[in-house]
Amino acid sequence: MRRFAYHEPKTLEEASRLLVDLGENAHVLAGGTDLFVEIRERLRDVSDVVNIKNIPGMTDITWDPAVGLTFGALVTARQLETLPGVQRTYPNFAEALRLLASIQVRNRATVVGNLCRASPSADTIPPLIADGAIIHIYTPKGMRRMPLAEFFTGPGRTRLERGDIATGIVIPAPAPDSGRIYLKHGRRKAMELATVGVAVSLDRDGDTCTNARIALGAVGPTVLRASAAEALLKGRKITDELIAQVGAQAMAECTPISNVRASAEYRRSMVGVLTRRAVKTAMEATQ
Amino acid sequence: MNKPANNLRNAFSTIGKSVKREDVIEKVTGEGVYVADLKPVGMLYGKIKRSEVAHARIKRIDVSKALAYPGVKAVLTHEDVPRVLHYGSPHPRSVSCTKDQYILDDKVRYWGEGVAAVAAISEEIADEALDLIEVEYEELPAVFTPEEAMKPGAPQIHEVGPGGNLVLDPVRVERGDVDKGFAEADFVLEGEFSGGRPMPGYMEPNVCLADWDGSGKLTFWTSTQSSFMVRGILAEVLGLPRTKVRVLVDHMGGGFGAKQDCFQHEFLCALLARETRKPVRMEFTRCETFLAGRSRHPFKLWLKQGFRKDGTITARDMRIVFDSGAYGSHSPGVTTVGTNSATSLYRCENVRLDGRAVYTNTPIAGAFRGYGVVQTYYALDIQMDEAAERLGMDPADLKLKNAVREGDIAPSGHAIVGHGLEACIEHGTRVFDWKGLRQGARCPDPAASHVRKGWGLGCEMHGSSAYPGIKEQGNALIKVNEDGSVTLMTGAAGLGTGAHTALAQIAAEELNMPFESVSVVHGDTDAVPWDIGAFASHTTYLVGSATRMAAAEARAGILRRAAEKLQTTADALDMVDGRIFLRASPDSGLTVAEAMGPTPGIPSANILGRGTYEPTKSYSFAAHFVEVTVDTETGLVTVDRVVPVHDVGKVIHPIAAAGQIEGGIQQGIGHTLTEDYIIDTETGRSLNAGLVDYKMPLSMDMPDIDTVILEAAPDPGGPWGAKGVGEDPIIAIGPAIANAIHDAIGVRFHHYPITPEDILNALNEKERQS
Repeated sequence: MRRFAYHEPKTLEEASRLLVDLGENAHVLAGGTDLFVEIRERLRDVSDVVNIKNIPGMTDITWDPAVGLTFGALVTARQLETLPGVQRTYPNFAEALRLLASIQVRNRATVVGNLCRASPSADTIPPLIADGAIIHIYTPKGMRRMPLAEFFTGPGRTRLERGDIATGIVIPAPAPDSGRIYLKHGRRKAMELATVGVAVSLDRDGDTCTNARIALGAVGPTVLRASAAEALLKGRKITDELIAQVGAQAMAECTPISNVRASAEYRRSMVGVLTRRAVKTAMEATQ
Repeated sequence: MNKPANNLRNAFSTIGKSVKREDVIEKVTGEGVYVADLKPVGMLYGKIKRSEVAHARIKRIDVSKALAYPGVKAVLTHEDVPRVLHYGSPHPRSVSCTKDQYILDDKVRYWGEGVAAVAAISEEIADEALDLIEVEYEELPAVFTPEEAMKPGAPQIHEVGPGGNLVLDPVRVERGDVDKGFAEADFVLEGEFSGGRPMPGYMEPNVCLADWDGSGKLTFWTSTQSSFMVRGILAEVLGLPRTKVRVLVDHMGGGFGAKQDCFQHEFLCALLARETRKPVRMEFTRCETFLAGRSRHPFKLWLKQGFRKDGTITARDMRIVFDSGAYGSHSPGVTTVGTNSATSLYRCENVRLDGRAVYTNTPIAGAFRGYGVVQTYYALDIQMDEAAERLGMDPADLKLKNAVREGDIAPSGHAIVGHGLEACIEHGTRVFDWKGLRQGARCPDPAASHVRKGWGLGCEMHGSSAYPGIKEQGNALIKVNEDGSVTLMTGAAGLGTGAHTALAQIAAEELNMPFESVSVVHGDTDAVPWDIGAFASHTTYLVGSATRMAAAEARAGILRRAAEKLQTTADALDMVDGRIFLRASPDSGLTVAEAMGPTPGIPSANILGRGTYEPTKSYSFAAHFVEVTVDTETGLVTVDRVVPVHDVGKVIHPIAAAGQIEGGIQQGIGHTLTEDYIIDTETGRSLNAGLVDYKMPLSMDMPDIDTVILEAAPDPGGPWGAKGVGEDPIIAIGPAIANAIHDAIGVRFHHYPITPEDILNALNEKERQS
């Protein structure tokens, strides 16, 4: 592993200042499950590691029926995954967590870290975007909040600027009659990066869909919203024909590439299969 | 001394029981020492600079900046190391090897080959110094597939060898009259088959540590399956007497055959240590286990067989081309064994075979569990399934009808012992409920019509020992200690298979002493008898037989010593469970410690049992029965259940044998469905040299496995009839899965890995055609 300098700030202000002063090769350490692998495999140039684990206030998980679920940047994937409330209320998010890497990794990895890594194939991003999650960011000028759907700008890139630190996430409480699901397509049951990931969250009135959000993972430079496919669902009674149309529309909206994991054509056709399956399941799901 | 006759007793005291492995406590507590755990005082860290072009002459290599970097102690290039053409595969007793490599050459032959080596005071500094080495290449035209390499006028990768980028002259085998056989056929099947580039994926990356003493002797710790061969080649290339090289290996984290080359980094580590006069340790990154490890040979195969209406095979014609990568390594052996294997498994009197290995500018293919046979039997077994379909026969019936039988001539030229394969097929058909399942619905849930089930059978046979390619020899020494314990000294490596436990069981059984009284000293070329290496599924069979001979001699020595003490003759004595007694009065007697031990005025005895065994070959057999689920919308295949039925002659340690079988199935599932080390055919670059995108199945992906071990065909060459089991399981699982996929969706695949995308494309094509 390449050498780096190590810092343990005690406050967000101190951490932020360090990140500004040390320049672009200073990186935040929370779980470290991506950062250290990337340093070791020389995928990222790192001059300084800024450990934020000693900063108070980012380990809480709170639930408020009006606000939803709030958790800090140091909360691990495994903590959230094993909460019965998360499994009950956000089964899509719980599934994404269950499918993320392995239990050993999830015991260390933070969800906010998975978001900030901004991989187009990150498992936690599609369900959180589909559920309208908000990310909280400390900036040198004060706190900001932003819909997670607007947070990503490209593979590995976010709207975080130098000195910014993501501090936590809020997932709004689900509507009373709603269904949500995350489907991951990979070739292994664990330690797998998604070839395609599809999250669908629907609000319902009987067999009519009143609102829909579809997020597609690993088929574009960032996780994508399939807005035209969502529009097809909104206010419509769900039939097999409509589901087929929605799947085809999602395929048209994604922009996959070919690589060693799969060809663009295969990924596109999986978007169709998974979107159809996800819409059907989300309509039938009981919350 | 003659080998003891088998089946002296019906009841066994130790073999056939899953005794506690002798290394289990060390391993589960993490106390076991691997080479990467060693850190002698003053140790330096070695790293290798690797080529970023696939085929080139090195015009200039400038190490001055790297040498000046603080903490760097030495840098070696092709200008600094001995230039000795040598074998990659360390079997100098075999005719089947190719001298085609230098430690470092002024040429690079694949992307990722080492071009320089650095020793520094930390791993980080060594790594950073690699970037400071400047290499100027004159690129040469490159070939990345055997097809390109075999074209007339293709760039030549080596100056040695028969030419045309062949590693060796074609291996040709002919038995009977093939043309007559085809003329007698009612129908002929012909097909092309191919396979990717699976990697062994051992847990412990290659690692070595070199240290020279004041007398000019090299002590060399390394993770190798063949320590004496490493000693031999290191000594030869470095210009040392063999006794000036001591090779040590304790625990290993796997090898699967691929750790039986003498690797480039091993020479460089030794030379860096000599240059710096410090111990130097060199450990591969996971990426380097791909770039500089050894893969299975990618292959292309053409197979044509004639059949009669009753299912008899009248003729078999096969050509196979193995992709050797940039160096020969084990290609001669793999080509010979892989090609010859097609003479058998399914009986056919008229056989014509042609096998070749071809150099390409890609990473090196070497020895790997299954050694050429994986490729051949994948094709052979799938074509048998096709023949059954054509005949309207159950594939199990057709395979059973043609299964190799007692007395048939094996690929090695020997008569087969026993009806092992028939027993495996018959037994498995029953316990798997083959006939019942195959009568069931392929689409179990009408509401989910995209989910289909299928059942497949794959068969194999594989030799224990590399005879006749290599004249093999197993050696063992057993020293009897004054406390009544014994020490078995063996050169056989323990790859993690439990081989030393099995050998200790064999010693205890023959001595008729408790298992716990046997300890094993291994892995030190200065201390143990010469060993050929742990490969070819032969350790239990070959070294086990030598161990049994040594134990018999030690036992005779113990009884002679006891006879002196008891003032009788040895033949009046017997020893059971470590207690020696007069046959005439079994209640009186003495322990081995009492017989051996020093008593006032009488020193201890010096008793040594010696065993040397030169076997021919035995064959083990297996039939794997597999259930798969195919999702026809995503193309994902899940292996749900495997019933592997293996004939191993006599099982020594049932749990260890089952562990070999389950592990082979895991690797085989990977090779068949997900694993492929991909080389860009435009540039020769490795596209997935790491475990993120080289996808090995993990514990969560494993099916239910109900292993059945039969003792149907004991071989007189092994201890109490025992034969090998290491390689067999990886051979049968592949065709079993491919045949099960066909059963589920009606599509044939002639290659591996069979990816979800392949499944979807094939289903779409099938739909277009219908």
